[in-house]
Amino acid sequence: MEDVKTTIKAFIQETFVADDQEQLSNDAPLLSSGIIDSISALELVEFLEKTFHFEFQPHEVDQENLDTITRIEAFVKTKKVA
Amino acid sequence: MFERNASQQAWRERILDFAASHINPLAMEREQTATFDRQLWLACGQLGLTGLSIPPEWGGQGMDAYTTVLALEALGFASEDPGLNFGIAAHLLAVAVPMWKYGTEEQHQRFLPGLCNGQAVGGNAITEETAGSDVFAMQTTATPQGDHYHLNGTKTYCSNGGEADLVLTYALTNPAKGFFGGISAFVLEKDQQHYGWSASREKLGLRTCPLAALLLKDSAVPVANRLGQEGAGGQIFNASMTWERICLGAIHLGAMDRLLKLAAQFANHRFSGGQNLSARQAVTHPLADLKVRLEGARLLTYQAAQQLDAGQRTGLAASMAKLAVSECYKHFCLQLMQLFAGEAYQTPHPVEIQLRAALGATLYSGTSEIHRNLVAREIGFKSALT
Repeated sequence: MEDVKTTIKAFIQETFVADDQEQLSNDAPLLSSGIIDSISALELVEFLEKTFHFEFQPHEVDQENLDTITRIEAFVKTKKVA
Repeated sequence: MFERNASQQAWRERILDFAASHINPLAMEREQTATFDRQLWLACGQLGLTGLSIPPEWGGQGMDAYTTVLALEALGFASEDPGLNFGIAAHLLAVAVPMWKYGTEEQHQRFLPGLCNGQAVGGNAITEETAGSDVFAMQTTATPQGDHYHLNGTKTYCSNGGEADLVLTYALTNPAKGFFGGISAFVLEKDQQHYGWSASREKLGLRTCPLAALLLKDSAVPVANRLGQEGAGGQIFNASMTWERICLGAIHLGAMDRLLKLAAQFANHRFSGGQNLSARQAVTHPLADLKVRLEGARLLTYQAAQQLDAGQRTGLAASMAKLAVSECYKHFCLQLMQLFAGEAYQTPHPVEIQLRAALGATLYSGTSEIHRNLVAREIGFKSALT
């Protein structure tokens, strides 16, 4: 599943990180740090749904699922298994 | 591609007839006295206007988003009461639609029939004194206690506030999470839950749509009145705003069609310096430009509605449609004020009523600045503030 993590990371890096020199770690907080705000989260959700072919339920747009690249990867895996 | 089918055309004619017979006769008086007419609301419900997009099993008309746009466009064209038009659209798009989309079967049975037949007025309450465009900076909390939540806080600018029988409101159930799973949606029922309204606020425009603040002080709301799961409020609100940003603008498209017709009638019959106004390019060219701009805004709206019907995420399309329609509406009214001059500067006059309404259109459902930021982000400006 490393390709899942790589895909997610590349999207976030390219779409949301303003400083091109800054490299995100897999456990860097995205939501609580403000890298991803309420609007960016919608872009991220749309990207994940389209790329990995599943649908978020409204309550799943949650810090626990989206705050780091590692958490996002884990959430995507649970959705793909389900 | 954007033709009206027979059913859509029939609806348009029904709405035009209804507005002429029921809405327009006393529209100016209501506007001047800032009167919300409950009997008229009920008549709108009986026609089906208050439940256009809701499935028939719950008393609605079962229209998709595109057909809803066409119906609201007809209402905006035919009705001389922009406050009523706005109140109906807000009730439908920010209250009834999310209740349909995210409610349980039991909630559908309890809430939707009354919202659709006009017996109940719906109000949406999210904005707070310190959380306007940034609605997710909200302070209102919902604390679980047994089979209830206790809500505390104040919501400002509630459309249909004071008159609403069912209020859809949002509160923090997990402040640490904030927007991302920390906000939940609740339905408040008049006479069932303990909450209050401020006095109705005076407004520049949309005066027939009441506006008030919702006052929540230890207001106990049953768990059964939570819409969606705990933490789903942020996404429920976003979905309702997508519907509102696309469909509510349709009433403005209709209003602009009406104003354009009035402008042509006025210019064709008015003479200045021995010349008919319609012969003056200083008059006709700006209006021709507005017509082109109007049709562009209409296409963005129709396209966004069809994307919504196709199940696509339409946040950007909704923002572009909302921005284009509301800014066009404002410029349209200002241009017509120049054309009608002193005649429209007197009150009440259809142009000044629409101008006052249009100024609000660039503020609610996200200000124009917010939507420009969203579009800028889509272009690729990573640091565009939201």
